[in-house]
Amino acid sequence: MDPLVEWTNLQTRRQFFHHSGIRLGGLGLASVLGHNALGAPTSSARMNPPLPDLPHFAPKAKAVIYLHMNGGPSQLDTWDYKPHLADWYDKDLPPSVQGGQRLTGMTSKQTRFPVAPSLFEFSRYGQCGRWASELVKHTALHSDDIALVKTVHTNAINHDPACTFVMTGREVPGYASLGSWLSYGLGSESDNLPAFVVLTPTWKSTGAAQALFTRMWSSGFLPGRFNGVALRSSGDPVLYIQNPDGVSTASRRSMLDTLAEMNTHRFQTMGDPDIQNRISQYEMAFRMQTSVPELVDLSGETAATLESYGQDVSKQGTFASSAIMARRLVERGVRVVQILHRGWDQHGNLPSEIRLQCQDTDQAIGALLADLKQRGLFESTLVVWGGEFGRTVYSQGTLTKTNYGRDHHPRNFCMWMAGAGVKGGAVLGESDDFSYNIASDPVHLNDLNATILHLCGIDHERLSVKFQGLDARLTGVEKQKVVSQILS
Amino acid sequence: MFTQSKTRVFHVLAAFGFSLLSNSALGAGADQTQTLLTFNRHVRPILSENCFSCHGLDAKKRKADLRLDTPEGAYTALEGAFPIRPGNPAQSSVWKRIQSVDPDEQMPPPDSHKKLTLAQKEIIRGWIEQGAPYEKHWAFEPIALPRVPVQPTGEKKQDSAIDAFIAHQRVKAGFVKAPEADRATLIRRVAFTLTGLPPTPSALEAFLTDKSTEAYESMVDGYLGTLQFGEEMARHWLDVARYADTHGLHLDNERETWAYRDWVVNAFNQNLSFDQFTIEQIAGDLLPNATLGQITATGFSRCNVTTGEGGAISEEYRHLYAVDRTATVMQAWTGLTAGCAQCHDHKYDPLSTKEFYSLYAFFFSAADPPMDGNISATEPYLKRPSQTQSEALTKAKTAEIEALRQLAEAAGKLDYKEPDLETGGVPLPGTQVVFDDNVPLACEIRNTTRNPSVWITDPPFGAHSGRRVLRQLSGQFTEDILQAGAVPLTVPENGECSFWVRLDPQSPPRGLSVQIQGRKAYWGERAYTDGAKAQAGDKDLGLGQLPPPGVWTQLSFKLEQLELKPGSRIETFAVQQNGGIVFWDKCTITGRLSPKTDPLVSMQQWWGAFTKKAKADETDLPANILKSLLAGPDKADSTAKKEVQDYYLGRISATVPVEILKLRAAWLAAKVERASVSESVQGTLVFRDLSTPMDTFVAMRGQYDKHGDSVEPGVPRVFPVLKKERHEGRATRLDFARWLVAPENPLTARVAVNRFWQQIFGVGLVKTSHDFGSQGDPPSHPELLDWLAATFRDSGWNVKALIRVMVTSEAFRQSSALSPEMRERDPENRMLARGPRLRLDAEQIRDNVLFVSGLLDKEMGGRGSMPYQPPNIWEPVGYANSNTRYYLQEHGASLHRRSLYCFLKRTAPPPFMSTFDAPSREQSCVRRERTNTPMQALQLLNDVQHFEAARALAERVQQEGGSSENARIQWLFQVVLARTPDERETVLLRQALQKQRELYRNSPQDAALVVNAGEAQPKKSAPSPESAAWTLLANLVLNLDETVNRN
Repeated sequence: MDPLVEWTNLQTRRQFFHHSGIRLGGLGLASVLGHNALGAPTSSARMNPPLPDLPHFAPKAKAVIYLHMNGGPSQLDTWDYKPHLADWYDKDLPPSVQGGQRLTGMTSKQTRFPVAPSLFEFSRYGQCGRWASELVKHTALHSDDIALVKTVHTNAINHDPACTFVMTGREVPGYASLGSWLSYGLGSESDNLPAFVVLTPTWKSTGAAQALFTRMWSSGFLPGRFNGVALRSSGDPVLYIQNPDGVSTASRRSMLDTLAEMNTHRFQTMGDPDIQNRISQYEMAFRMQTSVPELVDLSGETAATLESYGQDVSKQGTFASSAIMARRLVERGVRVVQILHRGWDQHGNLPSEIRLQCQDTDQAIGALLADLKQRGLFESTLVVWGGEFGRTVYSQGTLTKTNYGRDHHPRNFCMWMAGAGVKGGAVLGESDDFSYNIASDPVHLNDLNATILHLCGIDHERLSVKFQGLDARLTGVEKQKVVSQILS
Repeated sequence: MFTQSKTRVFHVLAAFGFSLLSNSALGAGADQTQTLLTFNRHVRPILSENCFSCHGLDAKKRKADLRLDTPEGAYTALEGAFPIRPGNPAQSSVWKRIQSVDPDEQMPPPDSHKKLTLAQKEIIRGWIEQGAPYEKHWAFEPIALPRVPVQPTGEKKQDSAIDAFIAHQRVKAGFVKAPEADRATLIRRVAFTLTGLPPTPSALEAFLTDKSTEAYESMVDGYLGTLQFGEEMARHWLDVARYADTHGLHLDNERETWAYRDWVVNAFNQNLSFDQFTIEQIAGDLLPNATLGQITATGFSRCNVTTGEGGAISEEYRHLYAVDRTATVMQAWTGLTAGCAQCHDHKYDPLSTKEFYSLYAFFFSAADPPMDGNISATEPYLKRPSQTQSEALTKAKTAEIEALRQLAEAAGKLDYKEPDLETGGVPLPGTQVVFDDNVPLACEIRNTTRNPSVWITDPPFGAHSGRRVLRQLSGQFTEDILQAGAVPLTVPENGECSFWVRLDPQSPPRGLSVQIQGRKAYWGERAYTDGAKAQAGDKDLGLGQLPPPGVWTQLSFKLEQLELKPGSRIETFAVQQNGGIVFWDKCTITGRLSPKTDPLVSMQQWWGAFTKKAKADETDLPANILKSLLAGPDKADSTAKKEVQDYYLGRISATVPVEILKLRAAWLAAKVERASVSESVQGTLVFRDLSTPMDTFVAMRGQYDKHGDSVEPGVPRVFPVLKKERHEGRATRLDFARWLVAPENPLTARVAVNRFWQQIFGVGLVKTSHDFGSQGDPPSHPELLDWLAATFRDSGWNVKALIRVMVTSEAFRQSSALSPEMRERDPENRMLARGPRLRLDAEQIRDNVLFVSGLLDKEMGGRGSMPYQPPNIWEPVGYANSNTRYYLQEHGASLHRRSLYCFLKRTAPPPFMSTFDAPSREQSCVRRERTNTPMQALQLLNDVQHFEAARALAERVQQEGGSSENARIQWLFQVVLARTPDERETVLLRQALQKQRELYRNSPQDAALVVNAGEAQPKKSAPSPESAAWTLLANLVLNLDETVNRN
């Protein structure tokens, strides 16, 4: 936060301490800060307000739910339907199509590049008649609300740099992630929960799962408070949210009251506004101790809602439980929710493994979209689905009638968006007959990130900070364009 | 509208006095008697920010052929118009365009999203009017020793030059300096600044009662002389060096390079001069007769992140590492953001792409492989034996050679006869050793961690057999896989496998197993690698509960239970563990073996059983023997046959005379001794060049595979020339290192003193301590910066002397209390009219609570320790078989070591670091942010590290704090804050204590939990409710804003 803004915000509190005598308590402070009963602050008193010049224009999306399928989901087996590939079964990918693209060290020494048509059934969904595979049928039922981009491309061909790129716009560590940029620019709507929450659910595929990196939700060169806060799949849902064993709420509250009085007393000597800021952070911590357990408690959900997400929903740490948590977070004013689901790196045994992955995710994603709509949150929430790259049409390893693997493919892959400001039913871009090259309308990941910022009311060229002598932006130094074709 | 009136310029400037004050670092803004605008201070920042990206150094991006960063460019007419006509704004197209409202004319153009303020426009106009004089960028000018200003009237004489410079500027700006802080505040401030720890009560007492005029200075000198000084100084440097304990990319496996970290600590403690500190880290390996320490120092350039990702392209990573190493060195020593120039000419500073790649050429021929192999000791890896270890190793090697010679000599005299398989074919009982103090000859042993297996010699609890035991340690599944070597293993009749294990009492495993030929026998919980989960068989043999921890226990099973066929060979034998720590000893297979199939009895059998997987080994299996063995008996001539026979009799056969067995045992013991000594020597990653340098090219637009011009090692033209030691050939890294610290180098000394200043005062004199280029802030006190830099350089780069001069200045000793007026006028304290007040850094916060609670373990150096960490920090992100996927917390003293020595995994750093703004060390960081978040509050309140410390501190209060409640509260305050509480504070704390007492008396079960928080042994003090109440009070005091600040 700008120190000046921070300072202005603190005035209310300072006056309170000076004039009203000291009686702190969660409630007392909350009322001073202008919270309504649900804990949503009035905008003037928000602890983390937006930057002064933001938003640049009226935002469509108040919140973003970003579903990242880590490892690189196969576009060929989900959203990029290539029916005629059946005729190409086990024939070599023509060199003219391959076109000398760089390959990873894992398949560059293969003597053959046999085409592996998808084993999965494709059908048409929605009014728009979109083709999608059986693996994603629950999601595809919402096709009329989803804009699909079939021609996303990225620079990196290996996981580490590609994962870093999709989230930070750079292949090397050190840059700020999408969620951090959004919370830095737009602040938080909630004083009881962090602005940017990350979930890393369990996964079902059995192969060795690719890693995540905390830099995917790190603030990089932005101040550390814009880091994504992990909502953890086991143990404390938020780090250190529980009092130590033997410390009751009463004991903690009493201790915090004295702490605030001592700190206020100290402020009167030192005059450093950071002291007051610390007092309010302790109060927010205390509020989180109530708001987080309430957040993760699903007992208020109807049976129908729970059922829609699938049976895993009540198992803490699953994708389904993360999906409903995403809705609950957005409902409570959290700006960005990221779910990073591992296990999508199918170099071998793709058919069985991707089926497990989709069993884990598809129903819950469909339910999430429906749930958001039903609660009127869909219009103000942007949902994004994708991975760090796609996969090759040719089989890595042996191709059989029932089994194949696919290597990394950064040249074209599918991502989709739904919700706030998105033109439902739209499709952008076509890949070639082999889903190996872009035939029309390429969309770089940076374009997509520019579009996400745009929907949040941010001109991506104007949201920058000085880093290493440059105006660093999420979308890099090259000219990027907002993908207007998929906007409503 | 804007007429040629000088007064108007000044009027507008005065109106914008405040913004000038903060933008140009409080320079001449408020001083209206000297209103000359200077290029560097006033004009360059505006041009740099708004104009240079299109009209600067980068020739490719230059628009309209116009350059505004040089007078030549700016004064030369283009198409008949002068960009800048000195003295005449009206005839300068720059000024016209700046004022224009026509979008086609206007500069900066609307689509750049840049905009000049009215004040900035006025500065440009005024500057042109004054003749538009250019200056070289201040930081590139030579460093001269400025004259110390005369004391301003009305203030006490300044003792130090620092104070004279500060006073000079402060008085002009109309600020009054703050009074000196009280002694208690001062000693705590100094102790944290110099050691990262608070003062002890006795140090406090000594300082408070020292009546000498030099009391403060002697207190400072005391701290400068402690070993903790080096630790605190190192901590800051390690951010710059991006030191961590893992590789950083993809698997993010462990890396062994902590000796470099310890070198840095030691360098500061020895007060190694900063020029030598520089030379050794950049080119210690090239110094004549380089010492182990000097070579260790080159670990600086091995601290970058590396990958071992399957499929990654080596050329790309060789390029990326060289970019990182170049950019880091330039950042660390010259404060330049050179990395920008990897893709294009630097837009703001005189650094072309080609010049960047000339710097890069110093690092491009690195000897380390681009793929780190995911092992901890990626070459070049330096073993660092101590004197004693070196001697012991020589001795052990000699002894081993001698023992082998005696064995070979005796064996050579024996004859060999194949046993009579007809009459001697009766199966006989026998024992095959799978491993004991070692694995059998030439047996390959692999490990899940990808690192060598760990053998512990003479463990404190005693080996069960011989001297050595195999240790497994992992948060999850790990296995050591033995691949049959020179001594094949055979399944005997009625065979039984037995082994001894000792489970660590503090970290017992969840399960352990033995896997032979893919078949598994397990105790406790069955475990697999993630990848093997799918293939997990149902045929595994469960053998019940784990044995009790802490004692050697023998476990065994019948081989037939695993359906292994007698007579068949065992190619792979794995010992596996699931979480925790297990020690393994003497593993054997017993049973009756028929000579017909027993390679220990029949050479013919042995020769025939030899597998292609065996690898040659200098001592275990010489290449000539292996060759003959693989070729088979039929191909061997008589010499070869004799060699093989001697080898067999000496090292393999079980049916040789006792004398041979004794010699063999002596040799094996000598081998174990040598291995033990050798393994005890620890190593570190070091930097070295390939013997033949690689051809180096400009990577066009930063792309590794787009070669541009070829480049030679060299430095940018704007700087003083680099002197080569040898006339011929390329410039070396050593030449480069010496160039950095050459007296004529304008940057190194400025950048270094500024970073030390930042460390001590919180903000550098150049606020952008990472950027001394034209995009960075100019210094708030340019003369002071140069005085410090020149003095530092001319003192022989004496770091301790520099730190002493800063810490003993009046500026540092001022009270940090802040009046509303100062808060308004100088929120960042750039005028230094008060003392620094800073939130403690991550490490200091943790170390502080450990220190005051008496838990701190002061052990220095060594492998990073693993203190408390909540579950699921590593696990949700780590790659399946990364050896840093599962965190295994240590116990005992390791829990309480200084944070500097805690293991840092880059892709998931410990929360006690990251929550408090410590960098992940994935790249160089020269300045940490200081944020204030609810996550920090939660951690300080609830993290077991902090709550255990509160509990231990409460025990101390009750034992050492006297008997009255008042005395105890005083003691607590004194220990934590180095001062006594005032009346109000005492009252508040007593009320709080009383309240907690009531709560805990009503809830003794809670009290019992509180007084047992953490693993540190509770000291018997008062009854639980009383101790619990004090624990909460200690928790409160440890959470005070004052406690987490350096006041």
